[in-house]
Amino acid sequence: MTGLHSHRYYTSATMSPGYLGNYAPLLIHILVAMALAGVLLSLSALVGPHRPSREKAQAYECGMRPTGDARHPFDVKFYLVAILFILFDVEAIFFYPWAYVYRNLPRLFGFYEMLLYIGILLVGYIYLLKKGALDWNK
Amino acid sequence: MVQDLLSRLGMQLPKEFALILPQVQLGIFALGILLTDFLLDRKSRWWNAVLALAGVGFSGKALWNLRNLEDVSAYHSSIVVDPFAVFFGFLFLISAALVILLSVRYLEIEDEHHGEFYALLLLATIGMMFLATGSDLITLFLGLETMALSFYVLTGFLRHRKASNEGALKYVLLGAFSSGILAYGFSLMYGIGGSTNLARIAQAYAERSPGDPLVLISLVTVSAGVFFKIAAVPFHMWAPDVYEGAPTSITASISVASKAASFALLLRIFCTAFWPIRPNWEMVVAGVAVASMTIGNFGAITQSNLKRLLAYSSIGHVGYMLLGLVAGTPDGFKGIAFYLLVYVFMNTGAFAIVILLRREGVIGEDIEDLNGLISRRPVAAILLLIFMLSLAGIPPTAGFIGKYFIFLSLIETGHYVLAVFAALYIAPALYYYFRVVVHAWMREPGGAARPTISVAQGVALAACTLFILVAGLLPDRFINFAGTTLQSQFLQMILR
Amino acid sequence: MLTVVTFLPLAGGLLLLFVDEELKETIRRGAMAVAVFTFLVSLDLLAGFQSSPGEYHVYQFEEMRHWMSSPPISYHLGLDGLSLWLVLLTTFLTPFCVLCSWHGVDRRVKEFHVLLLALESAMIGVFVALDLFLFFLFFEAMLIPMFFLIGIWGHERRIYAAVKFVLYTMAGSILMLVAIVALYSQTGSFDFPVILQKLVSGRTTLTMPTERLLFLAFFAAFAIKVPLFPLHTWLPDAHVEAPTAGSVILAGVLLKIGTYGILRFCLPLFPRASVEYAPYIAGLAIIGIIYGALVAMVQPDYKKLVAYSSVSHLGFVVLGIFSLNAVAIQGAIYQMLNHGISTGGLFLAAGMLYDRRHTHVITEFGGLATPMPVFASLFLFVCLSSAGLPMLNGFIGEFLILNGAYLTNPWWATLAATGVILSAVYLLWSYQRLIYGPVTVEKNRELPDASGRERFSLAAICVMALVMGVASPLFTARTEATVTRILQSEMTRNTRYEAVQRPTGAAVPVSVPLVAAGAEGGKAGRP
Repeated sequence: MTGLHSHRYYTSATMSPGYLGNYAPLLIHILVAMALAGVLLSLSALVGPHRPSREKAQAYECGMRPTGDARHPFDVKFYLVAILFILFDVEAIFFYPWAYVYRNLPRLFGFYEMLLYIGILLVGYIYLLKKGALDWNK
Repeated sequence: MVQDLLSRLGMQLPKEFALILPQVQLGIFALGILLTDFLLDRKSRWWNAVLALAGVGFSGKALWNLRNLEDVSAYHSSIVVDPFAVFFGFLFLISAALVILLSVRYLEIEDEHHGEFYALLLLATIGMMFLATGSDLITLFLGLETMALSFYVLTGFLRHRKASNEGALKYVLLGAFSSGILAYGFSLMYGIGGSTNLARIAQAYAERSPGDPLVLISLVTVSAGVFFKIAAVPFHMWAPDVYEGAPTSITASISVASKAASFALLLRIFCTAFWPIRPNWEMVVAGVAVASMTIGNFGAITQSNLKRLLAYSSIGHVGYMLLGLVAGTPDGFKGIAFYLLVYVFMNTGAFAIVILLRREGVIGEDIEDLNGLISRRPVAAILLLIFMLSLAGIPPTAGFIGKYFIFLSLIETGHYVLAVFAALYIAPALYYYFRVVVHAWMREPGGAARPTISVAQGVALAACTLFILVAGLLPDRFINFAGTTLQSQFLQMILR
Repeated sequence: MLTVVTFLPLAGGLLLLFVDEELKETIRRGAMAVAVFTFLVSLDLLAGFQSSPGEYHVYQFEEMRHWMSSPPISYHLGLDGLSLWLVLLTTFLTPFCVLCSWHGVDRRVKEFHVLLLALESAMIGVFVALDLFLFFLFFEAMLIPMFFLIGIWGHERRIYAAVKFVLYTMAGSILMLVAIVALYSQTGSFDFPVILQKLVSGRTTLTMPTERLLFLAFFAAFAIKVPLFPLHTWLPDAHVEAPTAGSVILAGVLLKIGTYGILRFCLPLFPRASVEYAPYIAGLAIIGIIYGALVAMVQPDYKKLVAYSSVSHLGFVVLGIFSLNAVAIQGAIYQMLNHGISTGGLFLAAGMLYDRRHTHVITEFGGLATPMPVFASLFLFVCLSSAGLPMLNGFIGEFLILNGAYLTNPWWATLAATGVILSAVYLLWSYQRLIYGPVTVEKNRELPDASGRERFSLAAICVMALVMGVASPLFTARTEATVTRILQSEMTRNTRYEAVQRPTGAAVPVSVPLVAAGAEGGKAGRP
């Protein structure tokens, strides 16, 4: 508990003049992706059948009119729901690393810890329930 | 309290847990307030304040248990509990307690008395405490954002006031921008150091040549981000508008606690990672300090809104504190710590007087609203005088001792010109502080009513006044308290 | 003992706080009682004071207590010949300030007297503090009550005058604070005797540039307070706007703090710099003497006239100090006391006129001898004492200063002597316009003569002026040791430096006449 000891998660190679070399795999990945997309697109254009219609030519958006004024005001309720969704979704992501290290944790410690975490989420949930954030008609 | 509860459940807590117990307890109370708020009707909302105070109290108790630790780092060196962190922790808790006491009546008058206010205040305090205790870029950044996000909301808490909305929006936009720059600087530091740990980064910086462009860019971006948070010139533009718009008690908190927390961050970074490249930043910080004193003190002269006036004056005070860093001696660091401690009391006290002026239908922020305070509320006028004298740095108030240490450290290091500059700026400062006093003491009262003082406000005012006078007349104990920060390892290493 | 004298007025003032605001008469009597009691207690200092103390008892009634350790400040008080008389002057004048405000101050009476007594405490503290930090503390503490006295109870432009007063004084004193801290970082102490000991014994030496800067920083603070010629512009405003009590205190005591500081700190601590700058400062002082007198002559406002006469008289004091010999310094100290008594008296008289007519404009009066004969005769006495008539106090101070200045530089004395003539001109001419001639304004016919209270105050001032005029050895004997010591510390160090830097030391030869004059000092002090 004393002294400075750094942990493997926090360390990486130092930034040095040749550090761009680290990014070579990324570059290869991008190149392959571009090539694949190009091949698939050209293949479908060459091989596929062409039967155009009015309905097909229209852009697809779920539940929205494809034409009209772009500055259409949305009900603020949509944003609220979207934000709440993102919040709880992101918080749920923490279950994954927890599950990954669960076996290595002391007995029951990990369990209680996650219980506490869910408890905190629960407080948030109760709070927004009571505030009426989930009540669509309020 | 938490520990008892958990051990009764048969749960073995890691020892490290005790180190973040103060923050955890604040968090529990913050969440609790969110829930209990539903149980309270309009009239009994003050119970929220009581709960928040209890949270601060428990947190203080937990922090008290840590006071004798010497540099314990934990959680993979992402936090370090040293006297520096403990000192600043107490500072934040004191400030939070004072702000809670001042808020109850004020929020009732503003008709915005919600539990969220106290919850957010406690959350902001958690962020500040992590800022003081973090020794890792990630902890520091998270702490900073926790604090900043809470304050963005609190600034806009008066939903029906345009100034409050405007202040909040400006604060969010500029704050996010500065956080972005700071994050960019942090990423460069990580790149240079190969670690997010400050000690490791310091080693890496020491090995680099000082003229390395990467080093300079990281220095510039990180300082820009931090200077924004402490509202130093040229990153001070947001301060007057935010200070004016925010609820007055939150203004006190932003100007005092948020500033102290950002100073903790600044010292932590500049005295570890950036210390090896000190020649690069010494003159820059000195320039920023002088510019802050100039703009702050001269800007305040023409202000007619008390909150704006105090905003500019706080910019000036930042200049003084930065000079302690320029000196970089034990007296300088002790001076900064003591100055911040005093600043908590004197500035909160000054804002408390502004809060007293707020009444039903009267905004009470204009300097004219003070007119004839001496005949309307002699006690408030006398306290105002004490706070203004202390802010100006006149003995025998505590503000003077703070300035004294800054002067001493500058003179010891041969920065005579800076010392004279810093001293001469007391004259314009005195001019505008006395302008406030003139309005309160020498102008005839208009038809304004007699301000009332609630019990909570009385307690807060008494605490501020008592501290200023006691620390001004018998400062030994408090100077020693501020001096404990010097025993922290990271300061010991550079002062050796 | 010194603690008692210092804090007695403050304690009395705090007690007054508990009196009901409406009981104005009680408050006035209470304040008067406190002021008089303080004066009586301070007389005990005079009784216990030894004129020729032993070598090791430089300061008498010394008190030393630990106060703070981190800036190592001690609560160190002490009294020597210089401070003894100034303390007595302060305690002597304060009762008259209470007396002269009896009718003049009718608004916020309680606050007025509390502030007045707090001011007295701070002033006494300034004179007896031996720790530089403590001195600075009292020096600043003085500003605040004075600020309120001018700002609340002053005349039309009171707030402007009050703020100007504070800013001027503050600007200078802040520089002094920096110098004090710098001196601390050089010597490691805030205690004045310790610092002086270190410097005199040579354990700490200041480089010449440092000494110059420190001297200028200290001197700036005191020169503003005095006020020396180009820095005097705050004084007329403050005097004209201040209530009578404020003017009396301001002229009587506050200005002396400037000259006291120069004598106490500038000369002994920085002997080389003070010798070096002496000619320039003396030059400014002479300009101040003549300029002040000329401007005073043409003032239509009586209070402003007295204010400018202060500039002129204090110019004499500064000239005396920087003549750097025992005669002149004795004269300077004497003149400080004189000015306190005489100008205090003039302001009291001006206040009495103001109480009756609510104006200070000279042309509004004239022929006052007819309705107010007693006032006219007492007033004449005060005027003559201020103008330096032989047998009265002003003469002795001016004579000694001119005498000493002549020893140093005959031209200084010659030029300054014109100031004596001019002072007679403006004082007597204004007296003539106020008192003699026909009654020009009808209202003045009805004016009541001096009341018992007023007679008493003016008479007491006159008696003091006469006593100081004929019994000067009573006073000079007690300041002699102090003066010798100031010059000795000056001399020993200058000769030592001279020995060290003989080839370059150009500014030092003044120290040669010092020896002769120093030995002569005591005798010359008794004309």
